[in-house]
Amino acid sequence: MRKAIYLFSDGKLQRKGNTLYFESEGLKKYLPVEDVGEIFVFGEVEFNRKLVEFLSQNEIILHYFNHYGYYMGTFYPREHYNSGYMILKQAEHFSEQGKRIFLGRAIVKGSARNILQVLKYYAQRGKEVESNVKLVESFLNKVAEAKEPNELLGLEGNIREAYYQVFDVILQDKTFLYEKRTRRPPQNYLNTLISFGNSLLYSAVLSEIYKTHLDPRIGFLHATNFRSFTLNLDIAEIFKPIIVDRTIFSLIGRKEIKKEHFEKGLEGFALTTEGKKLFITEFEEKLKTTIKHPELKRDVSYRFLIRLELYKLEKHLLGEKPFEPFVSRW
Amino acid sequence: MFVILVYDVNQKRVAKVLKTARKYLYWVQNSVLEGEITEANFRRLKGELSRIINQDEDSVLFYIFGSMKYSSRELLGIKKGGETNML
Repeated sequence: MRKAIYLFSDGKLQRKGNTLYFESEGLKKYLPVEDVGEIFVFGEVEFNRKLVEFLSQNEIILHYFNHYGYYMGTFYPREHYNSGYMILKQAEHFSEQGKRIFLGRAIVKGSARNILQVLKYYAQRGKEVESNVKLVESFLNKVAEAKEPNELLGLEGNIREAYYQVFDVILQDKTFLYEKRTRRPPQNYLNTLISFGNSLLYSAVLSEIYKTHLDPRIGFLHATNFRSFTLNLDIAEIFKPIIVDRTIFSLIGRKEIKKEHFEKGLEGFALTTEGKKLFITEFEEKLKTTIKHPELKRDVSYRFLIRLELYKLEKHLLGEKPFEPFVSRW
Repeated sequence: MFVILVYDVNQKRVAKVLKTARKYLYWVQNSVLEGEITEANFRRLKGELSRIINQDEDSVLFYIFGSMKYSSRELLGIKKGGETNML
């Protein structure tokens, strides 16, 4: 599978010798264009029209982040899988309330079940998570009755809050306390990790959407409004607990990430370049991890699981098979 | 699959071979490139190279591995190139 490239250094990315070339102070590197699937830009990277054209030709997606590691935007090349039919179907499932709520519920259920899997794992290891498991379950039971997308989003928020509350019990680390969810910018270390991880996952899902016929602009749980992409937020919801949160647990559990990896900006915290690199290495490792897929009966990576989720969604939209979210078994 | 490419070609064609190989594989050191590659891309790479080289004078070798699981790699001296995903 084509790889993700992360650019932290300040420099220039260009097309050279029919492949990609990155040059910065004391560093000259050719990147095999056939092996690159997406590029994440964190540094001050210069590029020109010729590069963008080349990326488009080679179907390479480019995500850029600002200095604090906030997602800024994506160069989403011209669609290479065009399907007017699929867009119509997607729009139909968005605008017909009943169809939309079905998908919204499925996504929230998938997310909650994966959360419960994570909690169960820690329950087995003797952590006091029982009361929060009950809380998540009680919200999960209400999902089937939710009539409005907003109601669903509210429940989703409740579930997530009940789940984040238990992070302190799981981590037992005084440096990384949850307190409350803060964003833009996050107000403590743990929130910084959650935000950074989520934005990486949103981008990774977006890259996978690019490889399907789906339109990233039409989401079901997250309303299609004036922001450019929403479908990736929906699908990411299902995978956050098993990809992002597990990455955080590993990094803190192994005491790899420390206070020194954060810097305080004017309003909140951000990861330093070292910290970001550390996080990404672990995150990539998670995406590459393979599990035995119960239906396909072969090993698939988490990254590919995301794609399979999109294929399931396509099948649902085309009326072939109702969408069932992926639920981790352990 | 994982491929290691080594080439020994007439000086006139070194640049051309390098340029072509760099589209698919990571440069490791002079005349050596390596990387993961799909079967289809491997075939394309071989096709492109065979059109560049002179069959009577040049030599391009591929070491092909199913995966890197059973191999390890040691380095003496400085690291010149190789695969990286963080720059």
